[in-house]
Order: sequence, then C-alpha cells, then structure tokens
Amino acid sequence: MYLEVITPDKKVFEGEVESATFPGTDGFFQILNSHAPLISTLGEGPITYVVKKEGKDSVTVKGGVVEVLNNKVVALVESLVEEE
Amino acid sequence: MANLKEVKTRISSVQSTQQITKAMKMVAAAKLRRAQDRIIQMRPYAQKLEGILVGVSASLDIEENVFSEEREINSVLIIAVTSDRGLCGPFNANVYKSTNALIADKYAGQFKEGGVTIMPIGKKALDYFTKRDFKVEKKFGELFARLSFNEAMKVAEFAMNGFEEKEFDAVEIVYNEFKNVATQIMCTDQFLPIVSAEEGNTSVSNDYIYQPNQEALVEHLIPTSLKIKLYKALLESNASEHGARMTAMDKATDNAGDLLKELKLKYNQTRQAAITNEILEIVAGAEALG
Repeated sequence: MYLEVITPDKKVFEGEVESATFPGTDGFFQILNSHAPLISTLGEGPITYVVKKEGKDSVTVKGGVVEVLNNKVVALVESLVEEE
Repeated sequence: MANLKEVKTRISSVQSTQQITKAMKMVAAAKLRRAQDRIIQMRPYAQKLEGILVGVSASLDIEENVFSEEREINSVLIIAVTSDRGLCGPFNANVYKSTNALIADKYAGQFKEGGVTIMPIGKKALDYFTKRDFKVEKKFGELFARLSFNEAMKVAEFAMNGFEEKEFDAVEIVYNEFKNVATQIMCTDQFLPIVSAEEGNTSVSNDYIYQPNQEALVEHLIPTSLKIKLYKALLESNASEHGARMTAMDKATDNAGDLLKELKLKYNQTRQAAITNEILEIVAGAEALG
C-alpha cells in the first residue's frame, strides 16, 4: 500500500510500505494492506511504518487525521515533534 | 546651463539607485519562487482535508458547531496582514485602506463603542495601527520573520479561543490574495463565524469506518481547516508581497533608466556647450590680437 505523510509545510514521507502504525486519539492502530476504508483522528505519538527493504522508520507527530482508501493511506499531520 | 559636475554626480547617484532596485527585484523574484512553492506545497494538504471534511460532514448537520454560531456582534477582531518591509508599491497601503473601509462599512457602530480590535500581522501594519487610535493586539506583529504553519496555528488558535470565549463575536481577515506576479487582489474574508460553504453535490459513497465517530471527527477537523485557512491567507499575502515588490522594483529600474537617458543627454549638451564656449573665447581672443 501507498503511504503519504504530509504537513502543511512539507511532505514528510511518501512511498510503498508494508504496514503502518498510527497514534489514533483512541489508541494506536495498525494498517495493513487492503485495509477497509477508514478515517481517523490522530493524537500525539509516532507514526511507524515498515518499508520493504529498508525496514522500520518512524516520525513523531502531533494532531491530524488519516484517511485509508483503496490501499492509499494519507496522513494529514498538524505538526511534527522534533526528535531529540 | 547646469553645471557639468552637478550632472555627473546626479548620473552616478541614479546609476547606483538603479543597481539597488535591480538587485532588489532579483531578490524579490527568488523569494517569490519560494513563497509560491510553499503555497503549492500546502495545496494537497488543504484539498485532502477539505475532501475529508466534506465527506464526513455530508451526512451530518454541522450547524451546531461552536465556530459557526452567529451572535449579535459587539466586538470584532480584524486580522490585517501586511509585510514586514516596505518598497512594494501600494501593497501595504491597500491593506490599510481596506481595513478602514471595512470598519466604516460594516462595523462603524462597534468602532464607536470601542469594540473593534485590530490584530496586525507584519511590521508595517503593526506600525500603522499602533500610531493611530486603534485597539491593537500586538502579539503576532512580527510573525513573518518565521512564517510556518506552527506560527499560523497560534494566530488561529488565539482568534478561535477569543471567539469561543465570546471575547470577539466575529473575526475578519484582510489580506492580499496572490493572483499573479503583477496582480494582487485585496481580500476581506470572514474567518469566524464560519460561513457555511455552498452545498456541493458530493457523492461520497465509500463506507468509511470512522474513528472515533463522525461527530468527533468533524469537531476535530473544523479547527484544523480554520488553521489551514488562516495559513493560506498568510502564504498568499507573503507571495503577493514579493510579487508586488518585484513589479515595483521593475518599474523603479525602468524609471531610473529613463532618468539616466535624460541626464546623459543633458550632460552631453552641457559638455558641448562648454566646448563651444571655449572655442568662441579662443577665436574671439585671436581676433582681438590680430
């Protein structure tokens, strides 16, 4: 499936991933291939995604919304939390 | 006839001015590119968000939102967006003019009662409104030095909190919208309460799973879309500023060129006159001797 993580300032990540975990407002959840259409709000925490060859990576975000539709996942993030 | 040396100094001074305006034009062009890139960068986000919001709220009545509540208007917050620097033609003056017109047209009564607060964004507006008899909220006057979504968010949150706590009954934004490099359109937008968008016939047929639920989603999305709206206004104004400066500086360079042409002509005339004079003198002297 295709994942896009964007903030109003820039595109944080874009590419094919195996799975992605999101910090939903009601708790973390994972999206795998062929997930049913979903819209969820995001809280604060890391978005972790697995890229086929490169392995796991994550960005820490704060607030936003994610939409899953036809194997395309778009995360609209309000702001990024810079890692120390 | 003007003094030869005087004209020469004028020429060199105009020349250096022309160099400066030329350089400023180039700088503005580069900054404009960057400002436009930011608008383009933000566009997919705004569109996607809009799409989701429309889809989610299509089946819901969003009239009950806190931010769309219409009250009797006693106090107004006007966000006036200008630039930090001058030398960009009528760019800033237009904002002052529109703000004053807005107050006179729509909020004359409130203004008399002292119910109009101006929140300038950009140093120019800050200076202008502080010097005059306006109630000014100075917090975000120098935002353009570090323009980012995070900063825009703070402004939007300030306005939204004020509205929620009934400090302001309406919020308006006055800014320049970017049409193209040479054209900026003055825009006065009502920020709060939300003007309900025209009913678009959106056929959203996807059976989404909503997390946590539709109502909560809409409540979450509306503030975000407001922030985006404000951020968009700021970016537009930023791009307009550089566009306006570019055109202004281009004109200034042209004008300096015209002036230089005239001055050079004058210089040559003066020089020729001086030579003719000298020859006349010599001839006259020779004649007197002979």
